[in-house]
Amino acid sequence: MLAALLAAVALQQIDSVPPHRAPRTLVVDERLAADAGLEIGDPLIVSRTPGGVGDTVIVSAFMRRRADPSEVARAEYRVRMHLDELQSLIDYGDRVDRFALLSHPEPPGHPEPYVADAPQGRLRGGSALPAVTDSAIRRINAAAFGFQAHRSRDIAVETSQTFLVVSRFHRAIGVITIVASAIFLLCIMLLKVDERRRDVAALRLMGISAGSITRSVMVEASVVAVVGSVLGLVLGWISTAIINWHYRGVYRTPLAFALVTPQIALLAMMLSLILGLAAGFVAARRLVSMPPLELLTGRRDDRPPVSAAATR
Amino acid sequence: MLFRLAWATLTSHRARTLLAILGVAVSAAMLLDMVMLSSGMRSSFKSLLLARGFQLRLAPKGTLPLDTDATIGNAAEITSVLRAMPDVETVSPVLGGQLHVPRDGKTVTATALGGDAASQGDYEITSGREPRGADEIAASDDFLRVANLRVGDTLSAAAGYDPQLRTFSGTRQLRVVGRAHFLYMAAEQRAVALPLETLQAMQGQAARDRVSFFMVRARQGANVDSVLQQIERAVPKVSAISTESAIRQIDQRLSYFRQLAFILGTVSLVVGFLLVTTLVTVSVNERLGEIVVMRAIGVARGRVVSQIVLEGSAIMIAGAVLGLGLGLLTARYLNSILASFPGLPAAIDFFLFEPRDAWSALGMLVAAGILAGIYPSWRGASVPIATTLREEAVG
Repeated sequence: MLAALLAAVALQQIDSVPPHRAPRTLVVDERLAADAGLEIGDPLIVSRTPGGVGDTVIVSAFMRRRADPSEVARAEYRVRMHLDELQSLIDYGDRVDRFALLSHPEPPGHPEPYVADAPQGRLRGGSALPAVTDSAIRRINAAAFGFQAHRSRDIAVETSQTFLVVSRFHRAIGVITIVASAIFLLCIMLLKVDERRRDVAALRLMGISAGSITRSVMVEASVVAVVGSVLGLVLGWISTAIINWHYRGVYRTPLAFALVTPQIALLAMMLSLILGLAAGFVAARRLVSMPPLELLTGRRDDRPPVSAAATR
Repeated sequence: MLFRLAWATLTSHRARTLLAILGVAVSAAMLLDMVMLSSGMRSSFKSLLLARGFQLRLAPKGTLPLDTDATIGNAAEITSVLRAMPDVETVSPVLGGQLHVPRDGKTVTATALGGDAASQGDYEITSGREPRGADEIAASDDFLRVANLRVGDTLSAAAGYDPQLRTFSGTRQLRVVGRAHFLYMAAEQRAVALPLETLQAMQGQAARDRVSFFMVRARQGANVDSVLQQIERAVPKVSAISTESAIRQIDQRLSYFRQLAFILGTVSLVVGFLLVTTLVTVSVNERLGEIVVMRAIGVARGRVVSQIVLEGSAIMIAGAVLGLGLGLLTARYLNSILASFPGLPAAIDFFLFEPRDAWSALGMLVAAGILAGIYPSWRGASVPIATTLREEAVG
């Protein structure tokens, strides 16, 4: 109802309502149109209560839900009606729930800032606009109209608290995932380097320095990390497409639920590279710190080998 | 002997084993958290709804209780109709609103619930008593703190704010008789409770004989669905909501979290599985010589496979046990984030620990560990003995 009032107040001023004509038109949520099998031009009866006496209207258009996160979990349908018709239908009198206003900068020759009806409530123009808006808000609140003016940005901040919480939750999950990835990467690098302990032993016996071996392992680790992150990005992009396809279907909204932006891709690659280099360094230092002969035989002097007798 | 061999293999590569256990622990923690998230909201919400034994809520047609400003008219008559039903034990009419209390040069605003002290199901008195007299009020700790009031104090309160005229429809002197814990309020939400008639009178003509919703408790042994149908037939202008249908609606609104829990839980399990598979595969490749020697001296293939599977399972079990503690810690942290949702009742837990959840997570991880070990161990135990021995000997 609120949306309908808002839409209607944006379309026409109350004092310019033309004489009542029947039937009037109605814009229908495309989900409702799909579920109820409605077509443009179909007549409908709208009433205040289910089955009650109502007005006949004609479906003039379908509307798609905006990509607004605050509407995602709301399953109810929406319609947009002419303001006077809705006021009459719900016995609301000459009342509206709220007005949306657009503040304009002071035009040349105009003595003071002014406000006007606006369909979107957006600010346009140069840097003088915030001051103009503040002035308009002050003037509206100072007049005893019974109105309270709020800046759209303040309302947006208030209504976006839910999404800030969800965003913090996602960040926390992201940190846990990074910790798991770091451990996984370190484990894989350790295994890869361990596989080459004989090669490393041979290189060390030939006189190759520990630093050279460490650098070589780190280069290898960085290649693994970069290739892995590229594959991960491709997988992420595919997952994003699947997630968006699934949730857009579930919630019937054009909203993008997951997004791979260049910044996110770059962050993921840099993080992967740093983790890969760190893991490669740790694994390589661990290997080169061992005596070459111990690497070659694969056992420490102070540890008894597993005897075949134990298998009997 | 099987255990000794597995233990010897795992301890021969301590760093690798430790890292694998840590990796599995993080995966297990995430899995446990996601299992808790998928069922926690539902259990927590159900416990909250049934906290005072009311199985039904009646709201204005097409709405949820206090979800809109809509109210139900002819409240007294509806209350009588409901109380006359044989299967209805208790009816609690509730009117919601706001109370404004000027204190120390500022106005403290609180959510006000008008109800019948004898049958109410919205709050529990923690000190003092319930508000029974027309000029009595009980308040939450947060309200009393902000308004700098104590039980026994008297306050001046106003209700029914008219934004057009910027006036209140009713002002009263009320005496604080109790301190209350409001079951359905958000953390730090300021709330007060007062008699229904008092709040109706303070809100003026607009609230005369009106309530926001009713809470209904069916008699023990009565079929709640049948009571719901009786009520909907007797009072067609209300939507009767049972605990189950309320949970379904909450499920629908919070389905995002359940699906997220499913996806992240699956990813955690797959990561744990991949980690153990990788480790066991590398371990088997490194020990091919040892394995074929065991086979050559007559150790059965099944025994070799069992030993390797045991290694994978041991890593999974150790990781899962460690992950259980880690999961409980992270769940507490994640719950503290989600608990800050605006308007969410403080009693709702998104991550609710139930032993069944822990067993589910542990069971899934152990199954993944066994599966992770089967293929590499079977492959290792199936290599040709003579050829592999020659290759290993030659190097």
